[in-house]
Amino acid sequence: MLIYILRRIASAVSVVIVTLVASFGLFFVAPTDPAGTICGPRCTPERYADISASLNLDEPVVQQVGEYLKGLAVGRTYHSGGLAVECDAPCLGYSYTLGQPVTKLIGQALPITVSIVLGGAVVYLIAGILGGIIAARRRGTYLDRLMVGTSLGINAVPYFVVALLVSLYATFLPHAGYHPLLENPLTWATGLLAAWLTLGLANSASYTRYARASMIETLGEDYIRTARAKGISERRVVYRHGLRAAITPIATIFGLDLAFQLTGAIFTEAMFGLPGLGVLTLRAFNQYDLPVLMGGVLVGSVVLVVMNLLVDILYTILDPRVRLG
Amino acid sequence: MEPMVSEPQVLRAGEPDDGPVPSAASPAAPVRTVSKSPTRIALARLRRDRIAMICAAVCAAYVLIAIFAPLLAGLEGQNASDLHQNLIDEFGFPTIGPTSEHWFGVEPRLGRDLFARWVYGARPSLIVAVAVTTITTIIGVVVGLVAGFSGGWIDRVLSWLIDLVLSLPYLLFAIASSAVLVAIFGGADGVAAEEVAQIRFISLICVLSFFGWASLARLVRGQVLSLREREFVAAAKVLGIPTRQVLFKELLPNLVAPIVVSVSLALPGYVVAEAGLTVLGAGLIEPTPSWGLTISAATTYYRADPLYLWLPVLGITILVLALSLLGDAVRDAFDPRTRR
Repeated sequence: MLIYILRRIASAVSVVIVTLVASFGLFFVAPTDPAGTICGPRCTPERYADISASLNLDEPVVQQVGEYLKGLAVGRTYHSGGLAVECDAPCLGYSYTLGQPVTKLIGQALPITVSIVLGGAVVYLIAGILGGIIAARRRGTYLDRLMVGTSLGINAVPYFVVALLVSLYATFLPHAGYHPLLENPLTWATGLLAAWLTLGLANSASYTRYARASMIETLGEDYIRTARAKGISERRVVYRHGLRAAITPIATIFGLDLAFQLTGAIFTEAMFGLPGLGVLTLRAFNQYDLPVLMGGVLVGSVVLVVMNLLVDILYTILDPRVRLG
Repeated sequence: MEPMVSEPQVLRAGEPDDGPVPSAASPAAPVRTVSKSPTRIALARLRRDRIAMICAAVCAAYVLIAIFAPLLAGLEGQNASDLHQNLIDEFGFPTIGPTSEHWFGVEPRLGRDLFARWVYGARPSLIVAVAVTTITTIIGVVVGLVAGFSGGWIDRVLSWLIDLVLSLPYLLFAIASSAVLVAIFGGADGVAAEEVAQIRFISLICVLSFFGWASLARLVRGQVLSLREREFVAAAKVLGIPTRQVLFKELLPNLVAPIVVSVSLALPGYVVAEAGLTVLGAGLIEPTPSWGLTISAATTYYRADPLYLWLPVLGITILVLALSLLGDAVRDAFDPRTRR
């Protein structure tokens, strides 16, 4: 068990390191002119020299990577327009287009993405699992077929179309916007409601089918028959005895989905105008803001790798059968 | 070799899934045994699936629209790039709706013909989806075959590569790496808009391909791991058949089902990916006629000119719906366990 976890951690770390080196190579060593692109179309020679010197572009590649890693660990100083800008650790670089350290930009964007994804997850987990239980208990009936058919239909509609149509036409929902949770929980929730419902609606379709399949399998087990024979109420049999076992496979899928959504909530963010990690990356793309692009990719990779690792480890705890020595 | 399944058709005539009872199968006729490959059984099953056939027809219609786009636009008497400024009022709104000259009306602001742009818009969607699916399938199958069959350090390196690609944040990376590709190949100033659009087109295909092959490679590798221990592979080895031939003549035919299923499920995914990235502004750009571009331009006019928004939205949605339902049907046909 311990060896398995250690091996998983080692492979996760290797993925993060390779991502770091590869994205560094992609952004700063590829035959492009990073200082020029970062500086933008109206670039003065002084500014260009500033950027070149700050990024150590005249030094060997290994040293550039070394400086970047040093920045991550202890912070570094950038020069912008004659001013020295302190970039505290963990320093992911400095955005010359926005005039701010990348870490700060990502720090502002990440809570928004997390709020959207977690709120949406609550909606689709509740709706999907309840829907799945109802469909499983009425298996083969008209209602069951209707629910499975609807969920297949919703799944086949591209997600960005769903998000776009909701953002344009569902004007009865409160206007989307982000207000920090700690300032006012109520405005936080109303501002994100539209995004939560969209994410929830689209994903609850597949969760209904997962939950239905898992529930049907569980309800066919011997111990459920035994529980029924003992005279336990049907509600208790389904929700206490059945659901508890049926939820394990759903938990795994949920973990992987959550990891993916944390780095891929970009459509929800873009359609509802919520400035999360995806929108930050998109803005960086449009302005060729390389440091922000690289920071976004790195943070995204770390989030994904850590989430996958957690899912794997939690799964061995949840389901003792998969313990690999 | 693909394993043949001997099916005495008469004995199983009562089963709905094994073809119509041949007329020769009257009680007096001798029992005929017909060998059918699993692929043929699956295709026969698919042919009887009414939803699948409707979806296939819809997809075929889209392919025809894409191929004959110039012809269809010519039939209307318009093309995708002419500006009809005389049909635009001073606020940029079109003064006409759908007419006999402009079947779907004209674009706000630029006044290009919407029907022509719609039929041409089918092209990038289908070209990107087909190209990416082809590339990812070839790479995925080859990597999976080699990794699964050779084992040892080659397998370890390839598996690690598969894991690496699968654990990258796909959307963020797609956006970031297409920025770099564009900077490398078309970053210089003064490049014509058409050329930049072409570079964006190719870089989109590259980026989607880079992230797409790994899941199929993992699937194929898993299948090969179990297949390579089977007798027919051992027999081929004993006969001295070269490894390349064992891989592609012996193993590959056994992988037809998972590959076909993966292809049919991947196609709608790439249609969505192309349109989605384009709507976000990270995919194709003007002047390529693309549904994603029209959608992102039309969101500003969704109240004044709903047709402008809804035509490409419906175009994408119906295509994806048909492709996904067809994909589900193909999976069900090849895998009897998931039958609805």
